[in-house]
Amino acid sequence: MNAPIRRTAWAILGTFLALILATTWIQAIAGPGYRDDPRNPRLTAWRVGRERGAIITADAVVTARSDPSQTDPQTFTRVYPEEARYAHTVGFTSVLFGSRGLERTRENDLVSHRDSTISGVLNVMLGGDPRPRGLRLTIDDALQQVAVEALAGQRGSIIAIDPSTGAVLASVSTPGYDPNSLIGPDAGPAGAELENDPDQPLLHRTVNATYPPGSTFKVITAAAALESGIAGPSTEFPDPIALELPGTTATIHNYDDDVCLDGRTVTLEDAFVHSCNTTLAALGMEVGAETLTATAEAFGFNSVIPYELPVVPSSMPDSATYADDPAAAAQNALGQRDVRATPVQMALVAAAVANEGNIMIPFVVADVFTHDGKIESTTEPTLWRRAISPASAAVLSDMMEKAVISGTGHNAAVPDLRVAGKTGTAEVTGSSPHVWFIGFAPVDPEPGERRIAVAVLLENGGPAGETASGGSVAAPIAARLFETYLR
Amino acid sequence: MTRNTEAVLVLAGAVLASVGAAMVGFAEGRWLDATVALTFVSFALAFGGIHVAFRMWAPNANPLLLPIATFLAAIGSTEILRLDPGLAALQRWWLVLAGAAAAGTVWLLRSSGIAVLRRYRYLFLIAATVLLLLPLLPSTWPIYGAVVNGSRLWVRIDLPFAARVLSFQPGEIAKVLLTIFLASYLADRAEAMATVSRKIGPFRLPEPRHLGPIVVAAGAAFVVLIYQRDLGASLLLFGLFVGMLYAATGRGFYLGTGLFLVTVAGAAAYSMFDHVRVRISAWIHPFADYTGAGYQTAQGLFAMGSGSLTGSGLGLGRPDLIPAATTDFIFAAVAEELGLAGSVGIIVAYAFLVTVGFGIALRSRDRFRKYLAAGLTILIGLQSFLIIAGIVRLFPITGITLPFMSYGGSSLLASGLIVALLGRVSHEERT
Repeated sequence: MNAPIRRTAWAILGTFLALILATTWIQAIAGPGYRDDPRNPRLTAWRVGRERGAIITADAVVTARSDPSQTDPQTFTRVYPEEARYAHTVGFTSVLFGSRGLERTRENDLVSHRDSTISGVLNVMLGGDPRPRGLRLTIDDALQQVAVEALAGQRGSIIAIDPSTGAVLASVSTPGYDPNSLIGPDAGPAGAELENDPDQPLLHRTVNATYPPGSTFKVITAAAALESGIAGPSTEFPDPIALELPGTTATIHNYDDDVCLDGRTVTLEDAFVHSCNTTLAALGMEVGAETLTATAEAFGFNSVIPYELPVVPSSMPDSATYADDPAAAAQNALGQRDVRATPVQMALVAAAVANEGNIMIPFVVADVFTHDGKIESTTEPTLWRRAISPASAAVLSDMMEKAVISGTGHNAAVPDLRVAGKTGTAEVTGSSPHVWFIGFAPVDPEPGERRIAVAVLLENGGPAGETASGGSVAAPIAARLFETYLR
Repeated sequence: MTRNTEAVLVLAGAVLASVGAAMVGFAEGRWLDATVALTFVSFALAFGGIHVAFRMWAPNANPLLLPIATFLAAIGSTEILRLDPGLAALQRWWLVLAGAAAAGTVWLLRSSGIAVLRRYRYLFLIAATVLLLLPLLPSTWPIYGAVVNGSRLWVRIDLPFAARVLSFQPGEIAKVLLTIFLASYLADRAEAMATVSRKIGPFRLPEPRHLGPIVVAAGAAFVVLIYQRDLGASLLLFGLFVGMLYAATGRGFYLGTGLFLVTVAGAAAYSMFDHVRVRISAWIHPFADYTGAGYQTAQGLFAMGSGSLTGSGLGLGRPDLIPAATTDFIFAAVAEELGLAGSVGIIVAYAFLVTVGFGIALRSRDRFRKYLAAGLTILIGLQSFLIIAGIVRLFPITGITLPFMSYGGSSLLASGLIVALLGRVSHEERT
């Protein structure tokens, strides 16, 4: 009469085995999925209220700090004292909207590791400091302020980079927003308002929006010609009123619908300095799809720039798609048609010219410091890619300097400073053009001298609207940036 | 294993509870405080008390029961303390009370033996029925039924002098009394019930009058389901009846009929009651109605997933985000903070307890003792299975307590009684 009891026992023990298997499945195999599920309130609960390290600028302005709560010293409130000035780069950490910017990408440094996971305990046992780390940025607050003021009321982006190291000196995307308004559990309406704003204040234009680069792309077209030996600065081209595009009825005009120089011939250098569309379009057709795309890719197009924050790739069409279409090559060579670039990509184009053709990996965190202020790790400047040869870079640098001295970029000039640059006025169908300036200063710096490369973009002409050009709107802003940082 | 080993293991369990209390304090930034001492005292009184009772009045009781119970209660009380210190203080009182009740039971049965229970089986049946019906008392009476989370399971007594309301779930005690009744009933009738007397086609049926108990069981479970809206309690009762009938008779017929009835009743409940439908859909698709019916299940899964292998550590997870973390979902709370290591440890401890319980049943020479031990073990096994299975989604959420671990006086009291009865049965086999 024990047999049925024994069978009952086995049946119940069998159900327990099933429990062990189900528990193992949930905790060990499906576990990370549940843990990282965006609906898991632990993600927010863990983030919010925990002490996080401070984020300060290169000149020691605090952009983010954690204040202990009045009622419970164990919980903290995140404060962004500079409000919108660092919104896109520093980001925020919130109850309702998750984390953005460095608050997201540097979470591991910024939060305390005071926990009882095996690694947490081991860390403390081995003498590790579980307290949160702080970040010191490469950004110069004085420069950042000037950049923010320059774009006030506009949709646009400014990024300034040290071409020799890749350190980001200023990074602004406008319109901005106040991250303090988004962190609490009552931030729903504020967040919805930002999300529904047609000017897209939450969009980090510097890295996450692409625009036709317009004439700033001529730096790449000229580089393609120089690198492939198709033309040099003194190679002469015809100077027509308009360039007919083969296979189409379309023509390419210059900015003022006239000849570029004197209507006879024009050198590549003069065409570059005066931003002659007819010449550079003809050059683009001569250079051809393969070289044009290869050169753009050498500068980083179609690649993900390995920045601290996620960057959308700038796009250059595959050469096969326009190899037999000279009209497309001509228009792509002018930074129109299918070419799209982020402001950070165009800043790297200028930086490459400034740095003998080498592009350094851009970075915005200079070093990570411990709770008691000791520097724990420092970002080492690292080469990302060699875009062009030093010789080509020297020629381009010279042409860009002349564009500022006597060409379209003259508004970027700063007294007693050797400034190089290229303007861009990118046509936008049915709207005012996007205006650009990319450039750097000083040309041929002394060793140890401060250096800066910039990209300035204003959507749809900025304050000047449809009459705007890169030279009239964006170049003066670049001049202010050069002056602020180098004077 | 001797009583001395048991003493050492029970002491270890009390120390475990105190260390747990100390760790919860550390995690919250407090140094050792009175809670640690109070935890130790309550465990020493409760489980030490049962141990002393065993030593004096049932010296041959199985020495594994008490250490396993102490271990489970220690983990449970630590998690309750971490979640709600106020509740933990109440739980300490309940623990002492449950220990006293268990020790008292051992004392009561010291000379009469467990057999005395067999004689009073109808008394237990009546008592159990009354207890089961208590929650239906109208709310105007001094002792009244209360609806909590949609289930009418609770009885409350206003204590005006203490300005307090005392709540308990009489169903918890009723289950133990019903087990005693059923063991006694089956001890007399099992042989007759196992006899095949008729054949209808391929089915070999017992005498129709022997079908009585199972029909009563199904009926009682269904009544509980209808009036108290409690899926867990009715399933548990029904499973207990069918399990004991099968264990006693060995007739698959009872199992088959039971399964058939539970399917029919389940289908009927599904079509009749919204709350049952909601439970079922929340079980199958907890994330489909994440903010509604699926919320609790989803929170349990998030907790367990976040706990991963080694857990967040005591006091460092967020089990407070799980609804009913101190009662029905305490398993998920422990799984989050102690990880897979802790949760599997708990399941293994229950498996161990069930093995010990069935071992006692198998070794019993007397039918009543055999069925009683088997029934009490089925009760513990089924109850812990049902609630854990609900959390890990092997089964819909049933809303019952986890024996020894969940917060709740009636649950602890019932668990204490089970340990005392199992101890007494095992004592009698060895003397």
